[in-house]
Amino acid sequence: MRHRKNFVHYLILALIAVAVLVYITPIYWILATSLKTLSDITTKLPKFVFDISLENYQKLMPSEGVPGVTYLFLGEVVVGLLLFGFFSLFNVRLPRALSLRNLGFIWNSLFILTCLYSFLTLPPLRSRLQTDARFNFLLLIVCTIIAYLLIVPWRKTGGLTSQTAKKQRLTLVLPSVFGTIAICVALANGGSKYFYQLLNSIIIGGGSTILAVGLGTLAAYAFSRFDIAGKDDLLFFILSTRMLPPVVVVIPIYLMYSALGLRDTHFGLILLYTTFNVSFAVWLMKGFIDEIPKEYEDAALVDGYSRFQTFLKVILPQSVTGIAATAVFCLITAWNEFAFALVLTEVGGRAVTAPPSITSATGSTGMDWGKIAAGTFVFLLPVAVFTFLMRSHLLRGVTFGAVKK
Amino acid sequence: MKSVRRSLVFVLILALAFVSTAKADNHQSQSLTIVWAEWDPANYLQELSKDFTAETGIAVDVIQIPWPNFQDKVFTAFVGKSDLYDIVIGDSQWLGRNSQGQNYINLTDWINENIDVDSIYGPAMTAFAEYPKGSGTYWALPAEVDAAGYVYRKDLFEDPNEMTAFQEKYGYALAPPKTYAQLRDIAEFFTRPDKDLYGIATWYSKEYDGITMGFQQVMWSFGGAYGDADTHKVAGHINTEDSVKALEFYTDLLQFSPPDAPNYYWTETLGAYNAGKVAMAMNYFAFFPGVLNPESNEISHDKSGFFIAPAGPKGHYISIGGQGMSISSYSKNKALAKQYMKWFMQKPVQEKWAALGGFTPHKEVLQSDIFKTATPFNEAFAASFPYLRDFWAVPEYAELLEVCQTNWSEAISKIKSAKEALDAIARKHEEIFEDAGYYDE
Amino acid sequence: MLTNHPHQTSRGMSDYQLKMAFIMPTMILLILMNIFPLLWSLYLSFHRYKASMPAAPRFIGVRNYSRLLADPEIWGYFQTTAYFVILAVAAQFFIGFGLALLLNRDFRYKGFVTTLLLLPMMLSPVVVGLFWRFILSSDNAGLLNFFLSPFLNSPIGWTTHPKVAMLAVVIVDTWMWSPFMMLIALAGLSAVPKFLYEAADVDRASAWFKFRWITLPLVSPLLLIALLFRTMDAFKMFDIVYVLTREGGPGTATETVSMNLYKLAFRNYNTGKACAMAYILLIIIVALSNIYVKYLNRVKGEEAQET
Repeated sequence: MRHRKNFVHYLILALIAVAVLVYITPIYWILATSLKTLSDITTKLPKFVFDISLENYQKLMPSEGVPGVTYLFLGEVVVGLLLFGFFSLFNVRLPRALSLRNLGFIWNSLFILTCLYSFLTLPPLRSRLQTDARFNFLLLIVCTIIAYLLIVPWRKTGGLTSQTAKKQRLTLVLPSVFGTIAICVALANGGSKYFYQLLNSIIIGGGSTILAVGLGTLAAYAFSRFDIAGKDDLLFFILSTRMLPPVVVVIPIYLMYSALGLRDTHFGLILLYTTFNVSFAVWLMKGFIDEIPKEYEDAALVDGYSRFQTFLKVILPQSVTGIAATAVFCLITAWNEFAFALVLTEVGGRAVTAPPSITSATGSTGMDWGKIAAGTFVFLLPVAVFTFLMRSHLLRGVTFGAVKK
Repeated sequence: MKSVRRSLVFVLILALAFVSTAKADNHQSQSLTIVWAEWDPANYLQELSKDFTAETGIAVDVIQIPWPNFQDKVFTAFVGKSDLYDIVIGDSQWLGRNSQGQNYINLTDWINENIDVDSIYGPAMTAFAEYPKGSGTYWALPAEVDAAGYVYRKDLFEDPNEMTAFQEKYGYALAPPKTYAQLRDIAEFFTRPDKDLYGIATWYSKEYDGITMGFQQVMWSFGGAYGDADTHKVAGHINTEDSVKALEFYTDLLQFSPPDAPNYYWTETLGAYNAGKVAMAMNYFAFFPGVLNPESNEISHDKSGFFIAPAGPKGHYISIGGQGMSISSYSKNKALAKQYMKWFMQKPVQEKWAALGGFTPHKEVLQSDIFKTATPFNEAFAASFPYLRDFWAVPEYAELLEVCQTNWSEAISKIKSAKEALDAIARKHEEIFEDAGYYDE
Repeated sequence: MLTNHPHQTSRGMSDYQLKMAFIMPTMILLILMNIFPLLWSLYLSFHRYKASMPAAPRFIGVRNYSRLLADPEIWGYFQTTAYFVILAVAAQFFIGFGLALLLNRDFRYKGFVTTLLLLPMMLSPVVVGLFWRFILSSDNAGLLNFFLSPFLNSPIGWTTHPKVAMLAVVIVDTWMWSPFMMLIALAGLSAVPKFLYEAADVDRASAWFKFRWITLPLVSPLLLIALLFRTMDAFKMFDIVYVLTREGGPGTATETVSMNLYKLAFRNYNTGKACAMAYILLIIIVALSNIYVKYLNRVKGEEAQET
């Protein structure tokens, strides 16, 4: 009996391995193609052994050379992720002088200093489309400080509770997040169109994700906890907005945006993608908040909290998992959107995102598959890392309230 | 402590909001934006424009849009009244639509005052600048004159063994084809799938204008036509016996093409030729620098010859390519744009344009020996001129083109027969003309 | 509902204010960005109007609709779309659910393996379509034809043969979106209480019995939701055919309604007619989703009665 069970277990593991292979092969092929030279790509039969070359990635870089600060930022991004991964996996005792808290502070200060350095050294770019890179670095500094202040636990708590440890770990990734943006800013300033579009994708994808998740959570809470006239109809209405094929709404929105001057602006696209995602966010979050027992809130209300405070102190911390899962889905949708981006931005315009332009890698030599692959791979990385970091929340977060506990 | 932090965050967010709204658009320096398709001539123009910047201090940015989206993106920008593009270098067929849609400004008076029209190659002026044809109203200046042509593998064509084998099989000498019948023979001769070699690569793609540009020249040369230019009647012109034969011929060529040929557009034909897959490839001449570049074409960059599109049983016609330079009605730099266009049309600039690889519309430069010998394909290119013809240039051309693309693509993939496809085009084209009021008395 | 505390209003917002403040932003956004454009396009759908031309819209009654509905080619596009939706969603459902059943156990690196399987859906559909052109190529380095070459005489023209092209689109869409189905099914499966299975084991129930009477009823509401979202998205699919099969080629073999609509609206600028077509599509999707949601509510209702 036991042998049979083992056999079945291994059979299933083998099947999983096969499935992973099938799903990963095309992605591996993207990576492999991005590392090949042109002559290795256009062979009759696929070439599996090849000399690794970085020429395709170089095509994405500014033609005048990569600004030095880029490497600094890249280093910070990688080290930040490693630090975060290390402290999440292993429970290390740190000396008092170098507690997680201090480490986070030092690490963030270092990042801010790098930004300041770039601010002082980078030359301004004479392009009518881009804002001054130095201004962007100022923005980055301010954003980092705000995010740091919002995350880091202010008061010194006695013991290291898991909550505060988690928050302190989070401060370690901050420079990785903003460092990615800084890399794009530096490279875009150097004249790379690709990274300018990647920057746009980050601004638009990130902005709309934050907005959609925020609005969605608020609305989901109200739908979950209050009596609302015609609740089911309203919910169906919200869902039905997602049913509209983009090409259906794109015509009037295109005309509307043209009239309002919202075409080819970051704000216009953020608004649009938020609209896209908010219905999904409401549905996911409502399912999740439904499952949080009402008793918690009641207790808090009795303790003298107001409704709003209850929402902030009880519901929000309880729904981190749902929020994370929702954010992953919203980010993926906004990050990859193509139809609207195609119609609502101009080529060479201010707010053009990466998807419509990765496809434009046609040279005078036939399709430049290497460049397409390199562009795709770099474009995949941020979302893949984000999803990987959120993976533990994903499974528990997508229940739509349809799973009865 | 807590309130300190809260107010700190609040102040910072306020600062953030203030900074992001207060950022001034501080580019006093003048600049021009030119939009064109994504290909080598656009790179040449960017290079050429450096001289303009040096002379005037006006920065010039040439934005390149991939061919499959070229028309869609420029038109969405126009309908959205975007002021991003100052100069649009657009296809000849766009003239009707953009002049009627008030997207191009009328340049007639300005051209008559500032430009020596006689110095420009006449047919180019008609094709790329004038609408309606013969009216003397100009909406553009020709920027790039282009024609469809062929590149072939000299090493294969001049191989003694191949030559004798061909002579034996077909009874005449192997040489660049003069007629479509010869083209077919040669394509058949070189088709050797086991050696990954095929006869011909030509345009069959459903994207933008792919199959239409490839097929229309065959159709004309076989005796077909799009319709009557005056009455706009289509039935009886496009769905004739001749056109059917032409379409069947064009479909037939697929068997001498690489397996993916039904998807071939300019980049795929170039790719196939550069990979040594085909003996001949059709493309616009302006794309041919790619086959002479040893970096992109390791196999045959020094073994390539060029010939003009062959004649058919009932005539000799070649698809016109190339674009005219127009000024967008929504541009805020119209005066700068005019200054640039005037500069561009000067003879020394045109000479440099030709030397860089641009196909100049300047008559003298075009006919000079310097131009003819500038590249190996310029001679074949110049020889193509008398045979050039264009698609409809009416404002509804995009709809007409879309119908052709779909139906011809269906015909070559055998979803419809040639006759059915052409009948469908005739019916739909007349519907479009009727809707647009061409048949109203 | 919670009882109102007497002094609640003095401390922050009342429940009513809070409710409004929470719901209104979302509703306003949705109304501004959906209802308003929809009304506008409804208006335009009764007019002859080209956004590219300066002429103002001219009222022509239902002519746009009648012409569209009488056009056999439009129905062809609807058929193509239906064919795609059925094939793709079915494939994604079975493969995704199957994968979830496989993954629903404890093993090392489970989180990592799950993330790996999710990678395809993190890519942009347009990039996926473009790169699969390369993978499906029969000219150069076509990976799929290479793997199939031991079984075939000649390479398959995945994107060039009219009969195969739809299959190619389905394969690509399935590769991309079955992970989504898997993720949601997995979420449902991992929420099924273990003690139910243990109880069934005590009764020596067969594996099939456990699947049919424990797993399926508990997961089905979630599966239905996943199906709903996938069906809606499959109906809208545009990116993949736009690039993979070059605007719905070969011929019209993969020309879906969305693809045709894009051309109608942004190539021909037949704005009025495009709006009419958009409305026809919209009505079909809303009707379908309505059936889905009704069915979903019934399944949820039944389950509520059972437990």
